[in-house]
Amino acid sequence: MTRKTWTQVRAVMRLEMKKTFFAKRGLWIYAVALLPVLLFIVYAAVMANEQHGTANIARRSEKSLTYQDLLAVKPGMTKEEVTTLLGRPPDTFHWIENRPGENGSHVSISHEQYHYSDGQNDLWVGMVDSKVENINIHEAFNLGQDAVMFAGVFQFFFLRLAIFFGCLGIFMNLFRGEILDRSLHFYFLSPIRRDVLMAGKFLAGLLATCVIFVASEMLQTLAFLWHFSPSTRDLYLYHNHGLEHAFIYAGVTVLACIGYGAFFLVAGMLFKNPILPAAAILIWEGINPFLPAILKQFSVIYYLKSLCPVDIPVSPGTPAFFALLVSNSDPISAPLAVIGVIVVASVALVVSGLQVRRLEINYTTE
Amino acid sequence: MSDRITFEDVSKFYGEILGVNRVNLSIPPGITSLVGPNGSGKTTLMNLMTGLVRPSRGQIRVLGFKTDDPENMFKIVGYSTQFDAFPKGLTGYQFIYSYLCLSGEGSENAERLARQAIERVNLVEASSRSVASYSKGMRQRIRLAQALAHNPKVLVLDEPLNGLDPLARSEMIALFRAAAAQGCYVIISSHILHEVDVISDQVILLSNGYVVAEGQIQSVRSEIQEHPTQILIRCDRPRALAAKLFESEYMIEASVHKDGHGLLVKTRDADRFYLSLNQLALDGIEIESIAPADDDVLSVYEYLIGNEEVVR
Repeated sequence: MTRKTWTQVRAVMRLEMKKTFFAKRGLWIYAVALLPVLLFIVYAAVMANEQHGTANIARRSEKSLTYQDLLAVKPGMTKEEVTTLLGRPPDTFHWIENRPGENGSHVSISHEQYHYSDGQNDLWVGMVDSKVENINIHEAFNLGQDAVMFAGVFQFFFLRLAIFFGCLGIFMNLFRGEILDRSLHFYFLSPIRRDVLMAGKFLAGLLATCVIFVASEMLQTLAFLWHFSPSTRDLYLYHNHGLEHAFIYAGVTVLACIGYGAFFLVAGMLFKNPILPAAAILIWEGINPFLPAILKQFSVIYYLKSLCPVDIPVSPGTPAFFALLVSNSDPISAPLAVIGVIVVASVALVVSGLQVRRLEINYTTE
Repeated sequence: MSDRITFEDVSKFYGEILGVNRVNLSIPPGITSLVGPNGSGKTTLMNLMTGLVRPSRGQIRVLGFKTDDPENMFKIVGYSTQFDAFPKGLTGYQFIYSYLCLSGEGSENAERLARQAIERVNLVEASSRSVASYSKGMRQRIRLAQALAHNPKVLVLDEPLNGLDPLARSEMIALFRAAAAQGCYVIISSHILHEVDVISDQVILLSNGYVVAEGQIQSVRSEIQEHPTQILIRCDRPRALAAKLFESEYMIEASVHKDGHGLLVKTRDADRFYLSLNQLALDGIEIESIAPADDDVLSVYEYLIGNEEVVR
C-alpha cells in the first residue's frame, strides 16, 4: 500500500467514523450492544440481593457454620441431631398435612423446613415427622454453571443477534445510507480508486463495530463478575480460565464483525432493500447446523461456534432439533476457524470491490 | 495525453429510458456550454464525462483518460454537480479539506488549497459554519470551491449559476473566463441562454438525448440553411438603403428598426450580401455598423430546438 493510498484510506475512515459513531439513526446499535450488559447487571443485582439474604441468615444462626457443617446433614437424621449439629435454625417453615387414612380417618403429617447458611451457601433441610427427608444445598458460586450461562448469552444473543444486527446497521449504511442521503457522489468525485474507498469504509465500519461490541463484551464480563467475592473472582479469572475466555470472546467478537461486516457491505451494494438480504443471511446462519458440510463453510457462525471457549451442554430430553441447534456437532480447529472467517470475509470483500467499480450515481432510481 | 474530451458513439439508457444517444463529440479547451431543455441529456452527458454513470455503449476519454479510472482522471477534473446534498456534520472548510485529503493531499497542502478555493468563491466568512446552515447560493459556491480546489484542467459545472445573485454570477463568470484563458476546459450546462451567449466559446445543443448541433455559435448558425440570416444595419437613411437593397438578389426581407436608425434585413447568402453592401455604401449612404442579429445562442436554440423551457 502506497503512502498516498494510506492517506486516502485514513481520510475515508475519518469521515466515516464520525458518521458511524454519532449518527442518530445508529443509536439503536448502542442499545442492542448494551442489552446483554444490562442483563448481566440485573443478574448481578439479583445475585447480590440473594447473597445479602444468605448473609442475613448466617448472622441470625446460633452457631457459626462452615460449608463442611452444612454437608454433614444427611437424610434420616432426627430433628435433634440436626439442631445439635447446626444449632437452632434461624429460619423455619412448617405445615401439617392431613392424609386420608384407613377407615375414613385422617392422618396428620408434620412437615418442617429449616434454612441454614454459612454466609455464602444455603442449606434447606426438609423434615417429615421430625426426620430429615430431603436436603437442598444452594451454592453461592457455581463457576461452571455461570460460565455456561455467559456462553449461552454470548452465542445465542450477542453473536447471533446483537453483533449480527449491529453489523447490518453499520455496514449496510456505508454505501446504501449515502445513496439514500444522495451524498455518495462526493466520494466518487475524488481521485481515489473505488476499491480503496471501499477498503476505507470497511475499515471504518470494522473499527466502529469492534469498539462498540468488544467494549460491550468487556462490560458484560465486568457485570458478570460483579457479584462474585474477590476470592471467587480471582478463582474464576486466573484458575478457571475466565480471563482467557474473556479474551477469546473478544477475539470472536472481532472475527464476527469482520465476517458479518463483509457480508453486509456487499449486501448493501447489491440490494436496495436491506430487509431481504438481512433475512436471507439470518436464515442461512440459523439453518447452518442442518446444512451439508460443504455449505456450512459458507457461513460465519460455523467458524465462530468452533472458536467459542465454552460448549453449551444439551440437557437430557432436549428435542433433537434444538439439540442440534445448540450443540456444535462438527467443530473445526481454532486456526482453521480463524482462517475460515477471514477467507469468507475476503470473498465477500472481493465481490464488494468488483461491485463498487460498477456502481453508478443514479439517485432518482433509488 | 490527448488534448480533447471525446465521446465516440456514446449512448446511455436508464433501463428503457433514453439518457443520450449516439453522441460523438470532441471538446476543445475554452468554455463549452451544454444547452437544452430539461431532460435533454445535459446532466447525463456530464455524469458520463465524469464517470458517475457508465455508458451503455461507446467510449469517453477526458484528455486521454478513461472515465472508469477515477484515480487518474479526477486529478485533472473537477465536477460541481447539481446534487444538493453534502456529507453530514461538516463545515464548509471541512468539506473542501476532507475532499482534498481524499484526493491524497497531505494535511498542510490540503489546508492551503482549501483556503485558496474558499477565497476564490468568496465564502471565507461562512467557511467555519456547517454546510447544513448555508443558503442555496452558498451551497452552490461551496460546490464550485470543491470543483476548483485542486486546480483541475477540466471543470465540469452543472448549472453553476443557479441560486447565485447577480453579483455572484458575474464573479463566477469571471472565474470561468479566467480558467478558460489559462487553457482549461470549462464545460457548463445552463438553460439561461443570455448567460450562455455571453460566456461560451462553443456550444453543444441537446434535445431529447441527441446532440442537435455543436461548435462555435456562428458556425452553427451558418449551417442552419432553412432560416435566413438576419443582419442589423445601423445607418442614417434606412428607408433609402432598403430601397437600394431590394435590387440585390440575395435580399429576402427588410424592415426598418423600431428606433428609425437601422434596418433589419434577412438574407440567404450573408457573404454575398456583405459584398453587395460594400458597393451600396459607396453610393452615399452612411453606414455606422453591420452586425448579425441572429447568430446568438438564443436564435440558434429557437431555430433548432424550439422555444421550450428556456430562460432568455
